[in-house]
This record gives sequence, structure tokens and C-alpha cells, in this order.
Amino acid sequence: MEKKYKYPNACLHLLFLFLITSCISSPATQPAAYVDLSNLQPLPTPVDDEIVPLRIAIAAVISPKGSAESYGPLLDYIGEQLDRPVERVQRRTYAEVNELVESGEVDFAFVCTSSYIIGKSDFGMQLLVAPQVNGEAVYRAKIIVPADSTAETLEDLRGKVFAFTDPMSFSGRMHPTYLLHQMEETPETFFAQTFFTYSHDDAIYAVADGLADGASVDSLVLDFLLKRDTNIGSKIRVIHTSEPFGIPPVVVGPDIRPKLLAQLKEILLNAHLTPEGQAALEALDIDKFVVIGEEAFQTVEEILSLLNTCYTCEEE
Amino acid sequence: MKSKYWQNLWENFWNWAGSFSIRTKIFGIVLGSTIILSLTFTFQVQSALLTLLEDESQEQGISIARDVAAHATDLILINDLYALHELLSETQINYHDVRYVFILDPQGNVLVHTFGEGFPIGLIGVNFADPDDYQNTTVLETEEGVVWDVAVPILGGKIGTARVGISDLSVRQTRSGLISRLILTILIVLTASLLAATGLTWILTRPIFGLVSAAQQIAQGDFSPRVAPWAHDEIGDLAEAFNHMAEELARINELREEREQLRRQLFEGVIVAQEEERRRIARELHDSTSQSLTSLMIGLRNLEECCDNPDFLPQIERLRGETSKTLEDVHSLAVQLRPAVLDDLGLEAALGRLVEEWQERSNISTDAMVHIGEDRLPGDVETTLYRIVQEAMTNISKHAKADSVSVLVERRKDDVVAIIEDNGIGFEREKMPSDSRLGLLGMQERAELLGGKLTVESSAKTGTSIFVTIPIDDETEISRG
Repeated sequence: MEKKYKYPNACLHLLFLFLITSCISSPATQPAAYVDLSNLQPLPTPVDDEIVPLRIAIAAVISPKGSAESYGPLLDYIGEQLDRPVERVQRRTYAEVNELVESGEVDFAFVCTSSYIIGKSDFGMQLLVAPQVNGEAVYRAKIIVPADSTAETLEDLRGKVFAFTDPMSFSGRMHPTYLLHQMEETPETFFAQTFFTYSHDDAIYAVADGLADGASVDSLVLDFLLKRDTNIGSKIRVIHTSEPFGIPPVVVGPDIRPKLLAQLKEILLNAHLTPEGQAALEALDIDKFVVIGEEAFQTVEEILSLLNTCYTCEEE
Repeated sequence: MKSKYWQNLWENFWNWAGSFSIRTKIFGIVLGSTIILSLTFTFQVQSALLTLLEDESQEQGISIARDVAAHATDLILINDLYALHELLSETQINYHDVRYVFILDPQGNVLVHTFGEGFPIGLIGVNFADPDDYQNTTVLETEEGVVWDVAVPILGGKIGTARVGISDLSVRQTRSGLISRLILTILIVLTASLLAATGLTWILTRPIFGLVSAAQQIAQGDFSPRVAPWAHDEIGDLAEAFNHMAEELARINELREEREQLRRQLFEGVIVAQEEERRRIARELHDSTSQSLTSLMIGLRNLEECCDNPDFLPQIERLRGETSKTLEDVHSLAVQLRPAVLDDLGLEAALGRLVEEWQERSNISTDAMVHIGEDRLPGDVETTLYRIVQEAMTNISKHAKADSVSVLVERRKDDVVAIIEDNGIGFEREKMPSDSRLGLLGMQERAELLGGKLTVESSAKTGTSIFVTIPIDDETEISRG
């Protein structure tokens, strides 16, 4: 009898073994590769290219992502014309871009009007060209409020939340401050709260989403955005449009080599003459690039000196 | 050829399966079914769960990678590497399953990563997302287990690729937790099955053991045991049928014993009557026929003396001779029928004369040793032993072709033993002529009537030996005497 029980016991053991092994079966998906995650090695430092790329800074008039997308074709066009790789450099603030131009880290830059005024007085920033939009090289500052807001003038925004774009932005900060100055107010006393969005499109979205009760934005950016995002039009309302100011220009540093300066000027001024250049300009809603004189920025310069603001400080 | 192979296999299996007790079979079936069911269940559950968990982990990985890519876009564009690093670190902290996060620039250089000092270089090239891809997931095997590597292009791949590694650790932990619970459940079910199997075995085998024990008792001649029907199932029917059979057997046995008793009585009556008849005939022959013949002899002698006619003398002489011969025959017949010496002097003397006469007649060397002692045996025992020896010797002279016979009759303490041996050709019971077989059966019956026993050993080489034992106790002696 004892002997007979040996067989079923062996069978039981086999079954249990099967049970255990089936429980620890392989995962459902099969690995494609083996990687040793504990084998950490120093990363190779990227070797500098022999060909030095043309470095172009874009001030955050619109958000970095927006800038990268809309300026991409133009930058590619410039690179093709120069037969040289182009590197796009972006920074959060206008001041950082001015620093890049000052130090020569970038060859040229798309900046804000006030950035040029400040850069010119600080380190001799030079005008290269300026875009012409809808036949003129000017832009306006527009104060917008949510579509359902009762505000009709800037005065109605007293005690509200106001969105500034960049501390150095003319249309986004300097101009509304100037308007308050005329009302013998400062943003701190007039508004309940202010904040910086660091780009015009984000300021527009902040108002559209009701995050801010008002914002002052670049008319070019507003038009650009209204064209691309039709929903925005129904969410915001313009309560104030300024007189025209000199359009945000394309600038170079004080130490640029004359040959490159001439090359760049030629490429930009003639961009609208080729189909590729035309397409690149269309992506930015620009007619063409034109030569612009310092006199175009006279009004802005006066307003800035009037405000006598600490330009580079984010918080006053 | 093939069918023979399967037949062999089937037979082997059947022999193997048949070699286990019912207990083992029931245990095997119950445990086997439980284990197979549990195995199937466990396998199905764990594979279904594994697929579900893996899918969920991968989905989570894709969401995280998309999230990282979206948040990283502006940070990469404005070259804010510190914020980028913070984003990655926080992602790793906030999501338990995230093993690593890193961002590659369009040239495939690592911008930021969460590995701290150094980077596993081999990781860079194992996964790649095309600019149009929503995401691309690759399964990696690492020393820490499986890692799902999700690649998401940032800004259509123009500024880089976000890569997130999702570890399968929590999947494994969940699975092993579930499996432990399943195994625990299986063990509980197995224990319950074992108990159930034990109960079932007990229920099934208990009545069978009862049946076996009852059948053994019946085989030994005890018809009294009956099996208590335990349930109204097949085994209950078997028990009923068994009880019915046992009753029938008991009834038949009773009937048989009754008949046997009757037969014995009849046989005994026949033997007694036969002996009585023989005795009467012997006496008649001795008293009446012998006397008449003796008177005839005397008459013939007288006639011889007084007859002067010489012509009749030889005739008278011949008649006297015939008469004398007849007288001798009658005497011999009477002795054979019932030797008076058996009644008058006892077995020892009667056997002595029987052997002596038989030796003379058959001319076979005979050695007889008869020790009865001073007391005479009961009459029926003497008669029985005398008749057995007589029958045995008749058989020897007829069939055995022996040249030496030995007869031993000895009185012991509680019985008397007789051994008749010859060195003849022996016999096979099946080949015996029917009258001899009846003779042998008669000898046995006679011995058994007195509670004795007769056995025969026979072989062609050693001849035949007949052993007879008849018990003798004082009571029977007195009752018989």
C-alpha cells in the first residue's frame, strides 16, 4: 500500500512544479534590446562644428514655441542664402536677448522697439532692417479685455488684474505705464495685481481665458493671432489703440563685420523677390523688409525717457 | 501495427491504473482535477492581468512622455536647462514607475537626463521617434527588469526627442501579490479537496471492506455475517445482493447438511443391515447348511459301509468327496461373510486369520502387525477396520501387482490407526474403474461414519499407502460396547 502511494506523490510534485513555473512565466511582450542601466558613463561633449553657424536671436514677442514655428522658414531661407547653417537662439526675456547682442553671441536679432532704444543707449545696438506689414513699418499698442468685460477705457480697469508681457516690452509694458503716468498713476497703485507672461500671445490667451482683466499687446501679434486662431476674436475686445510707433526692428551688435552686415541686409531686403523668401515672409505676415531710420523711433525714445524707468528690472 | 501499439499502450496504462487502490484513485482524481483547474485558472488570470497591467503602464508612459515633451518645448527653445532638469526630476519623483527621463537634441546629444553622474550610453540609440510619430515605444530588457522606453518628438522633432522609461516593477509587484494570493487560495482549495477526498474514500470503501470481510467469513463456512446496507446507491445494491446470496448459500448449506445427515444415516443403516445379514447368513450356513452337509457325509459313510454292491462304491466315494468340498466352501463363505472369530475373539485374531488366508490365496508376501492391547475395541470400530483392511487387500490382489504388503494396526491413546501399504503400481483416482472407486469411497465413508479419517497416497514408484485413523474415547466405547 505504501509503495503504491509513491506514484501519485511523484505526479503531485510534477504538478506543483508546473504550477510554480507557469506562475513565473515570461511577460507578455518580448524585449527588443538589452540595456545595462547601471553602466553610467560620462557623456561625450559635443564637438564644435568647423562651420560656425549664423546665430540669430528672436526676442520673445510671441512664445518660444510660436516664434520657433513662425520664424523657422525665414531662418531656413537666410541659411540657404548664406550657404551656412543657422542657429536659432531664444530667451525668455528681452533683456537676455539684448545681452546676447551686446556680447556678440548672436549675429543679429529680432527685438522689440524698446529693446532697441535701450540697447542703442546701453551698448550701441544698430538697426539692420525693419519689417513692413500692411504697407507700413509701424505698429500699435492695443489694450484688450475679455469679450464679456464691462470696461470701455483704461480707467475702467482700475483695481483689476493686468497682464504685462515683458518688463522691457514697449507695447506690453512701457506704453500702458505711460498712459497711467498721464493719469498720474503707476501700475502698482492703479491695478490690484500685475504679472508678466513674457510673450504677447500668452498675454492674449491670459485675457481670453479670463486669467487677466486686461493686457496691452503688440497690434502685429494680435492681428497675427486673430488670423490663425479664430476663437480668440470672440473672447477678447480691444478698448484702446495707441498712435503708431516704430515697428520692432531687426538689429545687429556694434561689432558686426561690415561684410556680413551687407550680406544680411541684402538677403533680407530682397527676400520678398524670390518665391522661397516670399513664402518665409508670409509665414510671419510680413510684406517685406525695408531700411528704417532712427527717426522712426523718436516718439518711443521720448516716452521711455519720460518714464525714466529702471528698464532691466523685472519688478519696480 | 499502429493499432497494436495503441492497444499495448492502453493495456499498460490499464495495468498501471489498476495497480492503485480505490483510495489512491479517488485521491488522484480529486487532487488532479483540483490542480488542473487551479493551474488553468491561475494561468488565465495572471496572463490576462499581466496584459492589462502592461498595457496600462505603457499608456501611462506615453502620457508622461507627451506631457514632458509639451512642457519641455519652451524650456528647450529658451535654453533653460535648469528648468528642464527640474521638469525631468519632478516627473521622476511624481511618477513612481518612471525609471528615467531624458531629452535628446535633434543631433542625438543628451541635453538633460535623470541619471545623475554619467549616462548609460547604450540607451540613446535603442528607440527613435519619427517627426510624424505620436510616440514610439520599445521594450527594453535591463538588469532591473523590463523597461518600456517611450520616445516622443518635441516640436515635430525639430528641437529634440523626449524619452521616458517606465519600469515594470509595480507590474511585477502587483502580479506577484496576486499570485501569492492565488497560491494561498489554491492551497486552501487543495486542503478542502483532500478532506473531501478522504471523506469520499471513507464513504466508498467502508462498505467494500465490510463486503470483503463478510465474503471471507462465508468462504470459511460461516454463513451468518450480513452487510448493513449503507446507502441506496450502487454499493448499497451490491450489499443487498450479497446479503441475498449469503442467505441463499446458508439455506442451501443447511439443506445439504440435512441431506448429508440423512445419507449418513442411510449408509449406516445399510452397513449395519449388511453386517447383520451377513452374520445371519454366515450363522445359517454354519448352523444349518453345514449341519445338513455333515449329516449327508455321515449318511454316505454309513451307506459305504453297509453297501455290498461294489458297483456303487466308487460313486458313493465321489459323492462323499463332493459333499466334503461343498462343506469346506460353505465354511469358507461363512467366514468371508462374517468371521465368527471377529465377534468371538476380536479384531487382532480376525485380522491375523484374514491376512494368513489372503497370503495363502494370493501368494503375496505379507507382513502384518496388529497391536490392539487387552481391551477390545468397540464393535463398530472393529467391523469398520476389518472391512477396510479386507477391501484394501482385495484391491491389492486385484489391481496392484504388488509382491510385498504390510499391514499395521495399532491402538494409541485416543485413537486407532491402520496403515496398509503395498509396493505395487499405484493408481490415479481419475483412471480407476468405477467399482474400485466406489470401494475406495466406501472405505472413506465407513471411517467418516465413526468420525475418523481415511487418506490414500499413491504413486507408480512407491505403490499405495492407505492411512486410517478412528478416534476412540471411553464414552463412545461404552455407548458402543
